[in-house]
This record gives sequence, C-alpha cells and structure tokens, in this order.
Amino acid sequence: MAVSTVAASGAHDPDAVRARYEDVDQAYHEQRENRLLGFLLFLVSDVILFSMFIFAYCYLRNSVPNWPPIVEGGKQLPRFDVNFAAFNSVVLFGSGATMHFAMESWKHQNRTGWFRWLIATIVLGIGFLCGQAYEYNSLAISWAGSTMGAAFFTLTGMHGFHVFVGVVFLCVLGFQTRAGVYTDSKYFGLTAGTLYWHFVDVIWVALFFLFYLW
Amino acid sequence: MAQLSAPRKSTMGPYFWTVTGVLTFWNLASAIWIAVTPLDYLLPRSSDNITDRGADIDFLFRFMSILVNAIFTYVAGYVVYFAIAFRRRRDEPADSVGPQIHDAPKLEFWWTLLPTLLVLALAVMSTRVWYLVQYGTSANGLEVEVIGHQFNYEFRYPGLKGSVYDEMHLPVGRPVRVLVTSADVLHSFWVPEFRLKADTVPGLVQNLNFTPQVAGTYLIECTEFCGVNHSEMQARLIVDPPDKFTAWLDAQKAKAAAGAASAGAPLNLAAGDAAAGKVLFTQKCAACHGLGGFDQKLVGPGLGKLFTDKTHPELVNGSAVSKEHVAGLIEKGYNGTLGAMPSAQQNGLSNQDVANVTAYLASLQ
Amino acid sequence: MAVSSGTLAHDVEDHIHPEPEGFIRKYIFSIDHKVIAFQYFITGMIFFAIAGLLAELIRAQLLKPEGAIMGNSAYNGVYSMHGTAMVWMVIIPLVTGALGNFIMPLQIGARDVAFPWLNMLSFWIFPVAGAILFASFLVGAPDAGWTEYPPISLQGPPGTTLWCVAIFLIGISSTLTGLNFMVTVAKMRAPGMTWTRMPLFTWATFATALINMVATVALSGALLALFLERVYGVPFYDPARGGSPILWQHMFWFYSHPAVYIMILPAFGVISETLPVFARKPIFGYRLIAFSSMAIAILGFAVWAHHMFTSGMPPWLQLPFMIMTFLIAIPTGIKIFSWVATLWRGRLHFSTAMLYSMGFLVTFTFGGITGIFLAAVPADLHEHGTYFVVAHFHYVIGGGSVMGFLAAVFYWFPKATGRMLDERMGKIGFWLFFIGLNGTFFPMHFLGLFGMPRRYATYVEFAKIFPAAQFWNIFESIFSLGMAASVALLFFNVIWSLKKGKVAGINPWGARTLEWTISSPPPYYNFKKIPTVLGLPYNFDQPLPYRNLDNDQPAVPVPMTLAAPRTPVGV
Repeated sequence: MAVSTVAASGAHDPDAVRARYEDVDQAYHEQRENRLLGFLLFLVSDVILFSMFIFAYCYLRNSVPNWPPIVEGGKQLPRFDVNFAAFNSVVLFGSGATMHFAMESWKHQNRTGWFRWLIATIVLGIGFLCGQAYEYNSLAISWAGSTMGAAFFTLTGMHGFHVFVGVVFLCVLGFQTRAGVYTDSKYFGLTAGTLYWHFVDVIWVALFFLFYLW
Repeated sequence: MAQLSAPRKSTMGPYFWTVTGVLTFWNLASAIWIAVTPLDYLLPRSSDNITDRGADIDFLFRFMSILVNAIFTYVAGYVVYFAIAFRRRRDEPADSVGPQIHDAPKLEFWWTLLPTLLVLALAVMSTRVWYLVQYGTSANGLEVEVIGHQFNYEFRYPGLKGSVYDEMHLPVGRPVRVLVTSADVLHSFWVPEFRLKADTVPGLVQNLNFTPQVAGTYLIECTEFCGVNHSEMQARLIVDPPDKFTAWLDAQKAKAAAGAASAGAPLNLAAGDAAAGKVLFTQKCAACHGLGGFDQKLVGPGLGKLFTDKTHPELVNGSAVSKEHVAGLIEKGYNGTLGAMPSAQQNGLSNQDVANVTAYLASLQ
Repeated sequence: MAVSSGTLAHDVEDHIHPEPEGFIRKYIFSIDHKVIAFQYFITGMIFFAIAGLLAELIRAQLLKPEGAIMGNSAYNGVYSMHGTAMVWMVIIPLVTGALGNFIMPLQIGARDVAFPWLNMLSFWIFPVAGAILFASFLVGAPDAGWTEYPPISLQGPPGTTLWCVAIFLIGISSTLTGLNFMVTVAKMRAPGMTWTRMPLFTWATFATALINMVATVALSGALLALFLERVYGVPFYDPARGGSPILWQHMFWFYSHPAVYIMILPAFGVISETLPVFARKPIFGYRLIAFSSMAIAILGFAVWAHHMFTSGMPPWLQLPFMIMTFLIAIPTGIKIFSWVATLWRGRLHFSTAMLYSMGFLVTFTFGGITGIFLAAVPADLHEHGTYFVVAHFHYVIGGGSVMGFLAAVFYWFPKATGRMLDERMGKIGFWLFFIGLNGTFFPMHFLGLFGMPRRYATYVEFAKIFPAAQFWNIFESIFSLGMAASVALLFFNVIWSLKKGKVAGINPWGARTLEWTISSPPPYYNFKKIPTVLGLPYNFDQPLPYRNLDNDQPAVPVPMTLAAPRTPVGV
C-alpha cells in the first residue's frame, strides 16, 4: 500500500481541532477576521489605483525637459504654492489624530469622547475639502490644459473624492453608534472607518510630496 | 485495494526506453536538420541574408527552434505514448490504480536544472543579438528619416529638400540608420525580409541600424493599428547598387529643385476632366470620403453635396465653397481639430489630377 | 452569509441559515455561490457565442485578400470587439466567476464565500458591463483592437468611450471577486486543511484571486485616464499636448499581462484535478505545482513590457523584461513535466474531461513554446504585430484556458446538476475543437513570420509577396468552423443532458476532493457538518482523508465504470 508522503503531524490532531471549533462561536469570529482582511485588501487595491496615477505623473514629468511644463505660447506654468497646501495638510493630519483619539475613547467605553472626537474629525475633514476647493479656484492651471493639470487635478480630485466618501462614512458611523449598532466588543464598522481615514491621510502624504515639494 | 496492472517488462512501462530512445533520436536528428538547413521554410529569404542584423536574428531563431523542438517532442511524445501504453483496458476492475507516487526529488531537480540552464543559454544568446541590434552603430552610415502618416510613409534623405513618398531607396553594402517617427498616430515600420521593426511614435524618434546586403525590392508594412486604412499602409523599399542609388538620389534632388509645386504643369481648373476625376476619387479619396451628404462620415465628411448643399457654405478650413478653394484644400491638405487629410503631394496628385477631382466634385448633384 | 451571532457553544451544524424563499431570492438575486456560478456560466456562454460569431466574421472577411464581406471600418470594430469580449466578458468571468465560485468553496469545505452579498454584486455588474460593451456597436464600435492604443483611440468612434466604461465596470467586478476569493481561501478552510493540504484548483484560484485583486485596479486607472482624455480633453496620452502614448502601454500592459495569468491559472488548476482522477494516481509534484502557481502569479507582474519591445521604450529597459520573461517559463515548464509524469504508469480513463486535459498538455505547451520565440527581443522585433502573435495567444488561450474550461465543464457538470453530460457528444466535440484549433491557428505562425500583419482587413500586398496567403487563410477559416461546431454541440449537450443525462450520484469519477463527498447537486448549505481534513486528496488507494462527512460512501471511491453502455437513464 503506497504511503502518502504528506505525514500527519501532532499539530493537526483531528479530534483536538474538532473540539476547538465546536466550542467557539466559530462563524462570528471567522466573519470578523474575514471582514478585516477583506477591508485591508480593499485598501490595498485602492493604493494601487493611486499608484497608477502617481506612476503616470512621474512618467509624464520625466518625459519633458522642463517642469512645470511649457505650454502653447511658450509660457511655463507656475509651481504650486506650498504654504496654503501645508496648512491644509495640517488640517487633514489633525483629523487623523482626532480619529485616533475617537477610536481610543470608544475602546475605553468613553461614548462622549467618541462623539466629540468624531465630530472634530468630520469638521476637519470638511475643512480640508473646503481648503481644496479654495485651492482649485485660485490655481492658474486647468485640468485639461496641460499634463501638469491633468495629473494634479485627477490625483487630488480622486483623493478629495475619497475624503468626501470618508466624511459620509464617518457621519454614518456617528448615526449608527447613536442607534446602538455597535457594542464594546463588536465594532468592526468603526475599525473600518478608522483604517479608511488613516489611508486617506497616507495618500495625502504622498500627493503633498509629489506636487508641492518635488 | 490497489490492483497491479499486468506484469511489465520494466518498472518504467512497456517499451518506455525504446520510446525515449526514439524521441531522443528524433530530437537529435531534427536538431541537426534545423542547424544545417536554410531557414527559408520559416523566415522569408533567410538564406539570402538580406541584412546583417537579419542574419543575426535568424541565427537566434535557429537556436530557439532547436530548443523548443526538443521540449515539445518530449512533452507531446510522452503524452501520446502514455495515452497508448497506460490506457485502462476494458477488463480492468473499476478500482485499479497506478502506483501512488507523489514525487521524485532527483527527477524534479534535473527537470528544473536542465531547462534553467537551457533558458540561461538562450538568455545569453538573445542578449548578444539584442546588443548587436540595439547598440550596433552605423556610424558614418546613411541616415534616412521615415515619418509615418495616416496612411502612407514619408521618406527624407540627407541633402534632399522635401520628401519622397512613393518608395524608399537604400544602397547595398552601406550601413544605414533609419530614424522613424510619426506625424499623427502610432504606426510601425517593418520590412519582413529585413527582420527589423520599430513603431513610429509621435514625439519620439526610434532608430534601426543595419546594412542591406542584397539588392532587390522589398515591402514596408505598417504593423501598428493606425486607423481605417491601416491594412492599406505599405510602401516599396528598393535596395540599389550604390551607383544606381546615387543616381536616384540625384534625380530626387533635381526634381525638388525644379519646381516648388513639384507637381508638373500649373493648376488649370477650367481644364478639369470630371471623368478622370471620378477615377481618381475612387482611388484616392473614397477610403475616407463617401458620396453622401456632409453628415455621412467615414473618416471625413461625405462630399456628394459639396457644391450644392446650401446649409454648408464653408469648407473645413473656413473658406467658402468654390472651385478655387476646394482645389486649394486638396492641394494643401488639412490638419486640424477635425482630423487630418493628406496633401496632394502626399497623395501623389499632380496639378492636373487636382483639377480633375475638383471638376468631378463640382459635377455631383 | 447570515450568521447567528452571540450564542456560543453549539455544534457547527447550527450555523446553517434558512433557505432563501421565492424565485427571485433563489435564482435571480441569490447570494449562494453555486447559483452565482451558474449565472456567470450562462452569461459567459452567451457572450462566448457572440464573440465566437464575431470570430467567424473575421474568418469570413479574410477569405479574400481584398476583404470578402465588409469594409475596413466594420472589420476593425469586429475584431476589436471579438478580442475585448473574449478576454473580459468570456474567459475571465468563466474561469473565475463560474469555476472559481462553484468549485472553490466546496473544495475547502465552506458553506459559501467570505462575502456572499459582494459576490452577488460582482455578478450583476457583469451582464450590465457586457450590455454596455455590445451597445457600442450601435454608436460605432471601438476599432483599435482590444488594446486601444492612443493616439488612435483618442480619435476613435464613440463606442470607444463605452468600451472604457464597460471594461471599468467589469474591472470592479473582477477586483471584488479577487478580494472575496482571497479572504475565503485564507480564512474559511475546513479544520485540518492546512495550506499544503489544499486541492490544487483552490491553490490556483487563490493565486488568480491575488492577481485579480492587485492588477485589475491598474487597468481601471488606465481606463479612467483614457475616458477623461476622450471626454474632457485631459491630456495623459496625446503627445501633441505633452502626453505619452507609451504611458498608456505601460499602464495597460501592467494589468493585461497578469490578466493572461488570470485566464490560465484556473485552467492549470483544473488540469491538476482531472489528471490524477483519470489516471488514478496522485498528482505528481504537488508542492512544486502549488508553489509555482504563486511564483507565476508574482513573477507575472514583472514581465509586462515584453508587449512593448517595438514601442519606443528605452533599449536598456528591454533587457530585464526579456530575462524575466524567459525565467517565467521555468515554473510553467515544471508544471507541464509534473502533469506528464502524473500520466506515467497511470490507469488512464479517456473521459471527455480527460481528453480535453491531455489535449491541453499538447496545445498549451506548444503555445508556451512560441512564447519563448516572442520573449527574445530580436526575434520579437520581427514577430510583433503579426499573425505570429495571434497564433501564440490563441494557442495558449484557446488551447489552454478554453480547453481547461471545457475539461472543467465535463468534470464538474455532474456535481452541479446531478446529471452526466453525454460522453459521446463530448468526445466528438473534443476532436472537433482540437482539430479545429490546430487547423486554424497553426498556419498563422508561418503567415506571421512571412509578413502578414495583424489587424489587417485586407492583405493584398502581402498576398503579392506570399502567393499562398489566400489559400492558408481559407484553410484557417474552414477549420475554425470545427471550433464553432464543437461549441454549438456543447450547448446542445448541456441542454439535452439537463433533462436526459445519466444520473450522476455523489461521486461518478471516484474523485477525492471535498465536493465529491456531498450530493449532486449539493444542498444549498453545501455541508451539513463541516468535515475535518486529515491529508491531501490525491491518494487513490486509501480511504478518504476526512472525518465527519455528511454522506456514506465507499471508503475508497472508484469511478462509475465508463465502459458501461451509453444509453442515458432518463429520470
């Protein structure tokens, strides 16, 4: 009788395994771990989307001798103004900090703290979006006028869209916590919201560097 | 339980080593055949060595053919042999099984190592030819520019004002650097007999370096989709003996110097022949222009009502519809937001041709 | 999958949720992975028929050098839609959405995928995207091939914009499916099923899901940019405005090369399941096959620019891509040798699934070999943009992905429906397909090498330098009818067998993976009790390596004898 070359080791003692799974609320635990992994993978795919446009920006920038590029009429476009963007960035990163404090409050059963910090995060998020709108309005370059505009408005536009979705997400979480959807031990939605908000911050770090500092 | 099949002569299977021997013999024999036989069955005019780089590339093809022939022979050969030797016979019990073997580390080692070594050999060989093709210079060679258009090639030579459109000429035995680019969309420059290809990219210049070694007429084909007439974008490439090439180039220079219009007699609209124009229209214009109204767009608008449609008093370049302006548009061509139309020179139209086409269009109701 | 949360310490059996009620919840908006798999199958096969018809239009056109049945514009739209539909609306949905969805959860002993609702959403995007794509015929079909290179695609007909939208949508579906499958395989395997006890189709699905999830988003980026440029004039690709056509090629191929591995890896997984069962021997080299699937998935991200050797990218960049492309041949070769070794000294049953699997070994290997010719830059300079490339990819996709898919249909149809497909029709269909495929695509290698470019509606000049051009094109067109007939026969076989096929029973093939331990078709909950897994499912002379199975079976399952008379038992 041929012997399988895959030997069963002690760690896979079937009876012990069986017992463990029957005693535990297997399905819920699996589900929570599933959702976390699923959400992280979703964020990975979103990072790749941004990475593609970042690659496009770097490629386009590298393919011309001058940056900012010289457009029709021989005019060279102006560089972006760091100062306002830096201020707006502080607003956004501040919202990341407030989100962190919100989550900490929740984990320590401090509902009031959660709501306060959550509202602060939402306000700062909206503030960032207003800052972006102001910046867009004051810029001399247009979306379709140059590759610089193309890259800038598309990337920051996608980012702004993600911030907007994040703000909506946080508002929904606020209403859900008021309605008692989450408990002290089951609050996956809040974890997801926090992860998403931090992701939005991380993307902005990259964009800020690429457009304002480089 | 496991049923053993009928007793075998060897544990490898009936006639296993015989078949292996046959396959190996076939591999060796075909390898030798591939190595010595001219590759003309695989690649056009291989034994003529039309270009030096082409000969290098053909050598690489030869090596690859030997390699892949070996792999495929063994894989397909064993599949067929196993299908015959190890087929389940009708009278076997339903639970008969083969030997329950999961792996064989030594075998797996060898069948990983050997292909890896072969792949490395191929990589070395390919890198060598790649280097020759990409970095072999044609210093002091003849530089010819090729510009791709929708849907023809434009050739420019050193010392020649203006361009040549109908065919490209090159001298035998002299290193050539062909610089390719495009005036509009992606095209490609490929001569099958030369083996070398480069996409013509707008905004970029690529170069191909080689020495043509055999005189003759060859075909340039576009191999990158470029629009509705992609399949009709070809040109002739003629490799001349050096004195004939010089003569040709001198003739081109003379022609360019002789007339600005480079199109023969001056334009005479009154002498336009509509019947001849109709033939020309079918040959040169019908691919892009139908004979319906303006809103029938193939590539360009329909021209059947060009002179009669009161709702379209202007041509695409803004000038009013008249025989003079239409002829001028055909002569100069158009390149703007609505697309691109080749000039008369690019289309190979003489002034008389322009007059004829104009007359034809004017005759349409 | 609804879960009763909160209460602890009951048997796993109690985690079965109530059956969905009503026709809509059961068959239209179902979250059951098996129903969704059927939906993908039906939709994918309909699109296969349409895309196949487009292929026959191509072959009809090429009967004459001057073009036999249509003008250039129409032809350009026909082949562009053929390629687009085949890649995104046929092969990828069928091998991931149909096969992956049906088989993988059953093989790992799960009741469904990790996110069943997301799975339903992924499916429903598919027919919508397909409808948008085919609607482009009404406004002017996209005409620059399935690759739509700018600048020409910036000028293309209005359908090109619809093309962007349709593929973007199907990309969302793909990404979500990839994410879903990765989490399912990572988290929901039955107790005792370690990574190295997973069946090879599940390994393949996992590797495919990884690529799906990571690469498809890259395409979405490219499509979004193309859409913005066409509709709003935002310059990414137009060189006249500072853009770069080569940028598109990088972004497009960064996805589209891994996409071909999405198309082939599930087929590899199918072969790894069918060959052992029909040879009654373990799969040879399980670990190498499993790990080479992951290696191919990862290395597949490093070779994309081999589609761009003539494009104008800097010459030094060609070298690493050439080397990486050569290297990726090695894990693929190892798999092929392992599969052949699986046949060695087996007791081979030539069921239709086995015929397709063995045919796969021949045609896929041949296609892989012509890939080597394309990998070498100097050779590719000759071959790029010609029928040699067309021949290569039809051998690996038609002779690889499609044959693997057809093997899977014949192998798992009994499990999905409880009926066997008719084997005689299946075998005739196999030979029609195998001969048709080879007759159609083998001559194309030579046509390409001798100078026939691809995407040509007419080939008058080529026919002048290669007088046999028309003969071989006619030859190919005639043989292509073999493939068409085979697919038509398959449609008939499926419909006929649903009513009149032999009743299958739990395990007609004597296979050993978990899906063959439950009824055919499986109950909606798959497993009443989640089984425990003790070992690999590839030993044919030992009892099944599971505990706690739902159904009694012989300890060592054997195939229902295939030599039995073929008269179907209509029940």
